[in-house]
Amino acid sequence: MSSFQSQKPNMLLDVCNLKVHLAVDGKTVRAVDGVDFAVAPGEVVGIVGESGSGKSTLARAIIQLMPNVAIAELSGTIRFNDADLMTASGTVLRRLRRQNGFSMIFQDPLGYLNPTQKVGRQIAEALDNSDDNRVLALLHEVGLPKPHQVARSYPHELSGGMRQRVMIAIALASEPALLFADEPTTSLDATVQRQVLDTLRRLHKSRGMAIAIITHDLGVIAELCDRVYVMRGGKAVESGTVVDVFETPQHPYTAELIRLSTRHLQVAQQGAQRAAP
Amino acid sequence: MTDSAGAHQSRKVPSQLSDTAQSIWGTLRAIASTRHGATGGAILLLMVLIALLAPLIAPYDPQSLTPSSLAPPSWTNPMGTDSIGRDIFSLVIYGTQTSLTIGLGAALGALLLGGTVGMLAGYFGGIVDTVLMRIAELFQTLPVIILVLFTVAFFGSSFWLLITAVILAIWPIEARLVYGQYLRLRNMSFVDAARVADMSAAHIMLRELLPNAIQPVIVQVALDASVAILIEAGLGFLGLSDPNVVSWGQLLYDAQSYMTVAWWMSVFPGAAICLAVAGLNLFADGLNEVVDPRTRGRKGGLQ
Amino acid sequence: MARFILMRLMHSIPLLIAIIALILLMLQLIPGDPVQAMVGDYPVSPAFREAITKQYHLDDPFPTRLLSYFTNLVQGDFGYSYQFQRPVLDLILTHAPRTILLTVTGFAFAIPVGILIGLISGTTPNRRTDHLVTTASLLVYAIPSFWLGQILVLGLSVKLGWFPTQGMQPMISRAQGFDWFLERVHYIALPALAFAVHEGTRFARIMRASVIDTLSQGYIMTARAKGLSRSSIIRKHVLRNSSLPLVTIAGYAFGTALGGAVLLETVFAWPGLGLLFVQAVRMRDNMTVVAVVIFAAIAIILINLIVDVLYALLDPRIRSRA
Repeated sequence: MSSFQSQKPNMLLDVCNLKVHLAVDGKTVRAVDGVDFAVAPGEVVGIVGESGSGKSTLARAIIQLMPNVAIAELSGTIRFNDADLMTASGTVLRRLRRQNGFSMIFQDPLGYLNPTQKVGRQIAEALDNSDDNRVLALLHEVGLPKPHQVARSYPHELSGGMRQRVMIAIALASEPALLFADEPTTSLDATVQRQVLDTLRRLHKSRGMAIAIITHDLGVIAELCDRVYVMRGGKAVESGTVVDVFETPQHPYTAELIRLSTRHLQVAQQGAQRAAP
Repeated sequence: MTDSAGAHQSRKVPSQLSDTAQSIWGTLRAIASTRHGATGGAILLLMVLIALLAPLIAPYDPQSLTPSSLAPPSWTNPMGTDSIGRDIFSLVIYGTQTSLTIGLGAALGALLLGGTVGMLAGYFGGIVDTVLMRIAELFQTLPVIILVLFTVAFFGSSFWLLITAVILAIWPIEARLVYGQYLRLRNMSFVDAARVADMSAAHIMLRELLPNAIQPVIVQVALDASVAILIEAGLGFLGLSDPNVVSWGQLLYDAQSYMTVAWWMSVFPGAAICLAVAGLNLFADGLNEVVDPRTRGRKGGLQ
Repeated sequence: MARFILMRLMHSIPLLIAIIALILLMLQLIPGDPVQAMVGDYPVSPAFREAITKQYHLDDPFPTRLLSYFTNLVQGDFGYSYQFQRPVLDLILTHAPRTILLTVTGFAFAIPVGILIGLISGTTPNRRTDHLVTTASLLVYAIPSFWLGQILVLGLSVKLGWFPTQGMQPMISRAQGFDWFLERVHYIALPALAFAVHEGTRFARIMRASVIDTLSQGYIMTARAKGLSRSSIIRKHVLRNSSLPLVTIAGYAFGTALGGAVLLETVFAWPGLGLLFVQAVRMRDNMTVVAVVIFAAIAIILINLIVDVLYALLDPRIRSRA
């Protein structure tokens, strides 16, 4: 942790002691309970944990996109470049979302696209000066064949993989410095998962943007990430470079996670080997 | 992990008929804890008391004539008198009995008829389902008041016929609701368990399914009662309700001819209708909040 | 789309036939003399009785009579009203447009206002505003529209004299052009308002529920993540998607508006189909009663059909499936 302290001035995103406590049926649920989290420019960071570990809430709290739930406590600091997101006004947040700030893609692309609007229009909406060529360029960039045709389609007319690419295109429209991806491949078939991950890696390389991936899948982490945070019960129990964490887990829970998914371990080793040179 | 989640999702398995009663009692207590439910419940309780104690509360016999006709509200006649000198306050008090009887009778009748049909259609499915639900649709096509007027036109407007007519007009809503509940519950694991245990269809329908299906149905019963009260009032207003029974709607019918001289003839009976219907609607709203967790708290709003 | 319409028709036509059969069956069940039951309290001479019996096949078994009634219906013959001394179809065709005028005017206010109130109530971040609107609409919804009509007449017509108490137009009028129009607006204002208040609160309640449902959808989260302003999220994503279910509700409400018209037209002596129906019931003019009910059934089933098709056209998900 102390090693990050010294890097702080260079961090794109720096979250300190974030607490998000929700009020559910009269009880307080500590969804996120004092988490430190940071992303450097151009870095790919993973957040891994079981469902209910608070990893999605963490991401949503950071970009100030909480769903309509009763919040019992919300505290800590969230610095993004020079802005303090905790105290930022709606205008500042909107500007960050519209231009060079952050954006997010979600687990279930069908539910997160408006069913009554054509895809092209939904992408154009995220652009500051929406022109058709930009829309088509974005669709092309995320690897969709026949962008013309896709732009004229409704979400339900596309396959799951295509929808997720459309979501990515929407997220890219604002040229974000940081892209949050919340379980981006969970709802997809295995082969499509592969393609979407490849697309994300390609985009990371070509655009140089930072990506924060939230997943329960250690394989995804091993393949894409530089660093990883392991979350459990609202706390980040361990963090470090993927190679360090996977090879010498410090926390018993991390060790257990790795042991439980031997398949993932193999993939992780491959990933580690790839990352080594 | 999936096991525990599954067990958590399926409702608790009741096996006694008394559980139905318990479920209803628990629901009623939960309603009282909601804002709308408590207000509505209080209004309804008040109305029931007024109906039961009508002879003690009303200063006059509703049909007896006081010496002054078309007298404005005063200490002797708090709501004034009508064109033939009857005391409006006493009429409104006694009208509570009629309205509540109609509301309760029609709602329970619709529950019994619609509930049975919905239960059979939802449980058995197939041809029973098709036939019964098409019949329900048949009755649901025309507006309730048109159906009731139609019946009254041909068969007269005695009080009990009126209740029957209202039941015939509103049972399909209840049937559809129960039907939906049974469709939802039909394939749940505890029903399969009961089937495997060789329990009779009647047993499963009444003892296993009913307690789980009852909650949204109570909401509809309250709404049905308010519809029934409105229909009776409407019929009375058209001068087509049972002339032998005091009814708020009839008072409005009488008022129609004296609008220019006796505002009190319309205002008080109308307010009584509003109060009864509002009470039932508030109660149903509170109930809805209890039954449908999505409406609990407020999930709307956009920052 | 054609297949979808065809399928809905296949559903509607048997329903219509069944309703008519049911109504005629009820006509059978009326105690007493069938001829008398048909013409109501109209005096019947022996010659007349024979004519009626022959014309309506009263001596024939029920299926034959049903068939003959349908044959007449298809030819546009709804029977003859002995009370009004006119063919019933004629009566319906003169009265129905007035009810439609009243209903459409009422909806023209109720729908936009209801949508606006529901939208505000559902999207406001202020819980108290929402509570206030919700409770108020619940209470207003409890006011029967016919009593509201009476109260409006009491206040605005009797006390203040701003509006006429009854009718659709003055007995004698020399007004021309725009004045003629204003005169009519005067007459329709109160009944349309009484109708609109009731329907408007209903639309507001449904719209609020629909808005809250929409706001919980993922694409609203996406819209927020795009950095859209609150107003453009409401305009572009919430309004349209939440209004969609209202198309169906409005259609059904329009179909069943005759129910409300029965009472409201009586309050204001508005000479529409509702008033005709009540008069026929009071005079025991059963031919007219039956015909109005059948006409209403046809209209409602037709409107529901149109609404379903319209909804399918508006919602791209259903459009492509149909």
